[in-house]
Amino acid sequence: MNWTLIAFKNILRRPIRSILTLAGIAIAVAMLFNLLEFQRGYERGLRGELADLGAHIMIVPRGCPYEAATIVLHGGKWPRYMEQEWYDVVRGTEGIEATTAIIMDAIIRDGGRENLIYMGIDDDYPTLRQSWEYAAGDWFGGEDTVILGSSVARSMDAGVGDTITIVDEPRVMPTQVTVSGILQRTNSQDDGLIFLPQRALQRIFGLEDKLVVILVKVEDVTKTEEIATSLRQASAESDAGMNIFPLSELLNTLTSLLSSTRVFVLAIVAVAFVIGGVGVLTTILMAVYERTREIGMMKAMGAGRADIFRLIWLETLITSAGGGLLGIGLALLSGRAVVALLRVVLPHTPAEFALGMTGSTFAICIGVSVLLGMVAGTWPAWRAARISPIAAIRGGS
Amino acid sequence: MNTNGHVVQATNLSKTYSTGGREVEALRGIDLTIAPGEFTVLLGPSGAGKTTALNVVGGLDRPTGGELTVAGEVIAGNGHRAREGQLDALRRKHIGFVFAQFHLLPTLTAVENVLVPMIWEDASDRGRAEGLLRRVGLDHRLTHRPDELSGGEMQRVALARALVNRPALLLADEPTANLDTHTRDEIFELLRELSDEGLAILFATHDHELAERGDTVLRLSDGVIADD
Ligand SMILES: Nc1ncnc2c1ncn2[C@@H]1O[C@H](COP(=O)(O)OP(=O)(O)O)[C@@H](O)[C@H]1O
Ligand SMILES: [Mg+2]
Repeated sequence: MNWTLIAFKNILRRPIRSILTLAGIAIAVAMLFNLLEFQRGYERGLRGELADLGAHIMIVPRGCPYEAATIVLHGGKWPRYMEQEWYDVVRGTEGIEATTAIIMDAIIRDGGRENLIYMGIDDDYPTLRQSWEYAAGDWFGGEDTVILGSSVARSMDAGVGDTITIVDEPRVMPTQVTVSGILQRTNSQDDGLIFLPQRALQRIFGLEDKLVVILVKVEDVTKTEEIATSLRQASAESDAGMNIFPLSELLNTLTSLLSSTRVFVLAIVAVAFVIGGVGVLTTILMAVYERTREIGMMKAMGAGRADIFRLIWLETLITSAGGGLLGIGLALLSGRAVVALLRVVLPHTPAEFALGMTGSTFAICIGVSVLLGMVAGTWPAWRAARISPIAAIRGGS
Repeated sequence: MNTNGHVVQATNLSKTYSTGGREVEALRGIDLTIAPGEFTVLLGPSGAGKTTALNVVGGLDRPTGGELTVAGEVIAGNGHRAREGQLDALRRKHIGFVFAQFHLLPTLTAVENVLVPMIWEDASDRGRAEGLLRRVGLDHRLTHRPDELSGGEMQRVALARALVNRPALLLADEPTANLDTHTRDEIFELLRELSDEGLAILFATHDHELAERGDTVLRLSDGVIADD
C-alpha cells in the first residue's frame, strides 16, 4: 500500500475522462516525436542520396535551385536546357576527376497516369553512380537500345531483348528500341528511369546539342568551392547562364528549408502541448473537487499538506507520462503515414527515408510530458493541499 | 507528561466562530480530562457544540481560548498557538477519528483503507491491518470495497483504520447515528472493549440511552458543560 497505488486507483476511477486526458497529451507527444525523428531521418536520407549521386558539384541551367534539386534527385520534365558545348568547357576545368552530362525528358500520357522519364546518359554516368548494377543484360548495344530501371522494367513487364516503342505524337514520332539491360533495384530515382544513349535521346526528342545537368566529381573535395568559383567565372565570361552549386550547399539549402518548416510545426506542437496541459490541469482539478471530502479525511487522519500535494502531483505525473508513452506508441504506428504525407507536402524527400526511434527522441518526449505534468499539476495539487479537513468532514454525506 | 497521566487535559476551553460579522460561541469555557482507558460520553442536543469540542480536542480546529494538552503535547495555552505541522503530527500519531459518515476511500478495499494512515508514517503492515479488521469482526470482508459493505461494516473498517497507528485517544462523533439500533449496540460494545484495553475515548452523541453506558457522561448544551 503506497501513494502510487492510491494515485493509480484514482486515475482508473474515471477511465473515459482519464483516457481523453491521456489522448490530449499523446497527440502532442506523437507530433513532437515525429518532428524530431523526421528531422533526423530526412538528413540521413538526404546525405545518403547525395553521396550515392557520386558528384560534388551540380551544374544546371539557371532557375529555381529547389526545383533543380528535385528534378536531379527525382527526375522530371526539365524546363530549361544548356548547350552541349558547355560540357567541353566544364571538362577542360582543372581539378576535375570525372564528369557526366545528362539530358532528360518525360512523356506524360493518360492525363498524368503514365509518366515515363527518359534520361540520356554518356559512358561516364555509371562510373559516378555507385549503385549502378545490372540485374540482367548490359550497357547499350547501340543507338537504338535502352536500359530500364527496376520498377519501370517491372511495370512494363519487359526483359532484355524486348522491343519497346517511344512515342508522344506529334512531338515524338514512334521509335522502336531494344532493351539491352535492366538495373538492380536501388531505391533511388534510377528505379523509375529509362536510360538512353545521350545522342539517341537528343535525336528522338528533338533536343539536339541540349543538356540539362552536368555532374562533376572533383579530385580533392576540399577544393570543391574553388572549382565551383572558377566554373562560375567561366559561366559569366561565356554568358552561358549556369547555376553552379556544390552539393554540400544543396544539402544545406534543403535542410534550411526544412528547418523553417520545422519552426512552424514546432509552433503547432507547442499549441498541442498547451491544449494537452490544460486538459490535464482541468481533469485533475475536477478530480480534486470531487474528492474534497476524501482529501479532507486524509488530512484529518494526519496527512500533511506536503503529503496531499505529492499525491495529486503524482496523479498528474502518471497521467502525463502515460500520455507520453501512448504518444510515442502512436508516433511509431503512424510513422509511415506521416512520411507519406510529408512526401506530398515537401519539395523533396529522400527515397530511402523512414522514421525510427532514437534514445534522445524518446528521452525528450518523456521529459517534456513529465515536465508538462509537473507544471499542470502544481495548481490542482496546491488547491488539494489547502483543503480544510473540518470543512470537508462537516459537509453532509 | 506533566498532565498527571491524562490523555486529554482541557481548561476553560472556548471556541468562537465569526462568520459574516456574526459571532457564534460554540464552546464557552469547558473543562475536560480524559484518562487512558476512560470512556467519556459527550451528550447534548444538536447544535450544543459536540462536534466543535471533538474537533478542537483532535487538533482539527484551533480553540480561541483556554488551555489544551493532548497526549502530552501542548496545543493551546499561555499564548501558545500550535502550528499546522504540529497538529498534523498529533492527529497522525496519537488520535483516531470515527464519524457518523464513514469517510472511507471508495476505490480501496477494506484492508487498503485501514492501511491508508500508515502511508504517511512510511509504514505498511498488512498483517496488522488484517488483524485489526479481524478484531472488529470483519475477517470475511478483507478485500471488499466500501460499496460492497453495509453501514455497520463500513463503520467497523473506519474503526480499524482509526486504530492502525496505535492512537492514545479515539474521537467518535456520533459514529452510530447512521446505524440501526442492533448495529449501534454492536459498535458501542466494540468501543467499550477497546476502552477496557486502555484506549481513551471521547464519544459524542445525542442518544441518552447510549450515554448511560459510558464511564463518564458530560452534558453539553449551548457550549457549556452542565454540572451533574
Ligand atoms: N464553521 C462554523 N462557523 C460558524 N458557526 C459554526 C461553525 N461550525 C459550527 N458552528 C455552530 O456552532 C454551534 C455548535 O455546532 P456543533 O459543534 O456542530 O454542534 P453539535 O455537534 O453538537 O451538533 C452551532 O450553533 C453551529 O451552527
Ligand atoms: Mg455534530
